[in-house]
Amino acid sequence: MLYFTLASKAYSRNLQYRGAHMVHNLASAMFGYMYACLWIGIGADHSLGEYGTQGMISYIAFTQSSLWISGFLTNGLGIPLSVRTGQIALDLMRPVHLFTHLMAREWGQIAYQFVYKSIPIYLLFSLVFSLHWPSNVSTLFYAALGLAGAAYLSICMNYIIGVTAMWTTESSWLHWGNHAMMNLLAGFFIPLEWLPNWLEQLAWLSPYPFLLYVPTRIYLGFEDGSLLWGTLLWCVFMTLICLAITQVLRRKVEVQGG
Amino acid sequence: MKRTSWFNLYKMLIRTSIRSRMQYKFNFIMASILAALIQISEFLMVALVLHRFGAIKGWSLHEIGYLFAIMTLSKTLYRTFGNEVHHLEKYLVNGELDQLLTRPMPVLLALLPQNFRIMAGEVLQGGFILCWSVAGMMHSGQIGWTVIPFSLLIILTGAVILFSIGLATATLGFWTTRIEELQTITEDAARTAAQYPLTLYPKWMSGILLTVIPVGFVNYIPSLYLLRGEGGAWILVVVAAVAVLSLAASLRFWQFGLTKYQSTGS
Repeated sequence: MLYFTLASKAYSRNLQYRGAHMVHNLASAMFGYMYACLWIGIGADHSLGEYGTQGMISYIAFTQSSLWISGFLTNGLGIPLSVRTGQIALDLMRPVHLFTHLMAREWGQIAYQFVYKSIPIYLLFSLVFSLHWPSNVSTLFYAALGLAGAAYLSICMNYIIGVTAMWTTESSWLHWGNHAMMNLLAGFFIPLEWLPNWLEQLAWLSPYPFLLYVPTRIYLGFEDGSLLWGTLLWCVFMTLICLAITQVLRRKVEVQGG
Repeated sequence: MKRTSWFNLYKMLIRTSIRSRMQYKFNFIMASILAALIQISEFLMVALVLHRFGAIKGWSLHEIGYLFAIMTLSKTLYRTFGNEVHHLEKYLVNGELDQLLTRPMPVLLALLPQNFRIMAGEVLQGGFILCWSVAGMMHSGQIGWTVIPFSLLIILTGAVILFSIGLATATLGFWTTRIEELQTITEDAARTAAQYPLTLYPKWMSGILLTVIPVGFVNYIPSLYLLRGEGGAWILVVVAAVAVLSLAASLRFWQFGLTKYQSTGS
C-alpha cells in the first residue's frame, strides 16, 4: 500500500506539468520523425532486409516512444541530488528499504510517462506514418512484458548510477555514459543485427538490448516471447547487485555540512 | 564607459568564472571525457549505418561527418560564450535576473560571463571528426586546402546563428517564464536535424530549417559550395549576411523583451 501511494504521488505530481510535457512530446516526436526520414532516405537506394522501409519506420516509431519507459528515467533515481542536500541520511533512516522506496516512486514516474508521453507520441507517429498495429493479442502481451522488464532494468541501472554519487558527489557523467551506451548497444536507431559482428556480440553481453531492441522486435512480430528469459535473467542479476550495493551504502553515508 | 573598458571588464568576469569552475578538477575532466564519448556514440550511430549501406542520398560518410563536426564546433563556440542565454530560465524563475539588472552595464554583458563554459570534450571530438572528414575528402581529391580557412569562418558564422536562435528563444521567456521545452525544439531538435543533409526531409521541414530556425545556414548551405561546388562563393556571403541579420534581429528582440520583464517577486 505504501509503495502504491509513493507511486501514485509521483504520478500525480507530474500531472501539474501536462501542458509543458505536451510541447516536449512534440520535440521528442520531431527527433523520431527525423530518424525515420534518415531511414526513408537510406531505403530509397537500398533494401532494408526483413524490415523494409515501412518496417524501419515502425521500428523507429516504437523505440522513440519506448525511450520514455526505459530510457529517460530520473537521473540516478534522484540519489545524487539527495546526497548533495544531505537528504540521503534521512532517506536511509526510513523504515523502508532505499531501493524499493525509490523504485516505487520511479514506477509512478514511468506510468505517467507511458500515459502522457509514450502513447501520445506513438499515436502521432501512427497517424503520420500510417503504422500497422499488431493484431495478435499475445504479441501485445509479450511486448508489454518486455517493456515492463525494460523499465525495471532501467530502474536498477539508474539506482546503481545514483549510488555512485556517494563516492563522487556527482554522477551525472555516468548518467551520460549510460545514455551513450544506449545509443549504440540498445538498438535505438540501428537494429543490432546490422552492427559490426564484434559490437553486436558485445551488446548481447550487456543488458542494453533488453531495454529497447527486444521489446521492439517482439512488438513488430519478428520474435516470440523466448527472448524475455534474457530480460528475466538480467532483472534478477541487477536486483542482487542493487541489494548488495545498498548494504555497502549504509556504511558509507557521510552527511555533508552546509 | 569606453569600449576597451567593457572588454577588460568582460575578460575579468570570464577569468573569475573559469577559476570557480576549476575548483572541481576531477569532475571537469570526467565530464569532458564523457561529453566526447556521447558525441562519439551519436556519430557512430550514423557512421555504422553508412558503413553498412554506403551513402545516404548521395552524401558520403566524410561529407556527413563534416556536417556533423561543423555543427558540433559551432554549438561549442556558442555555448562556451553564451551558455547562460541557454539557461536563462533559472534566472527568470529564481528572480536572479534582478541582480543583473541593477549592475551598471548591459544585461547581456553581465549575463554571459556568469558561467564561461570550457567544453574540452566537444572541441576534441568535433575537431577530430572535422580533421578526419576533411583529410578523407582531400585525399580523394574532392576538396582543396582552401576549405580549411573557410571551415573556420563558417564555424564562426554558425556560432553567431546558433547564438541568435538561442537568444530569440530565451527572450520568449520574458512572456512565458518557462523556456526549456521550447529550447528542445528550436535548439536541440533543429540542430540535430541539420547534422544530416536537409534533402532527407520533406520540403516543409527543410523550409523551416532554412527560414524560421535557420540552422541550415550553419553547415548545410555552406557545405553545398565548399564540398560539392554547387553555387558559387556568393553562398558564403549569403551565410555571413544571414548570421549578421539573425544577430541584429535577435538583439533587438531581446531589448524589447527586457522591457516586458517582470520579476518573480521572491
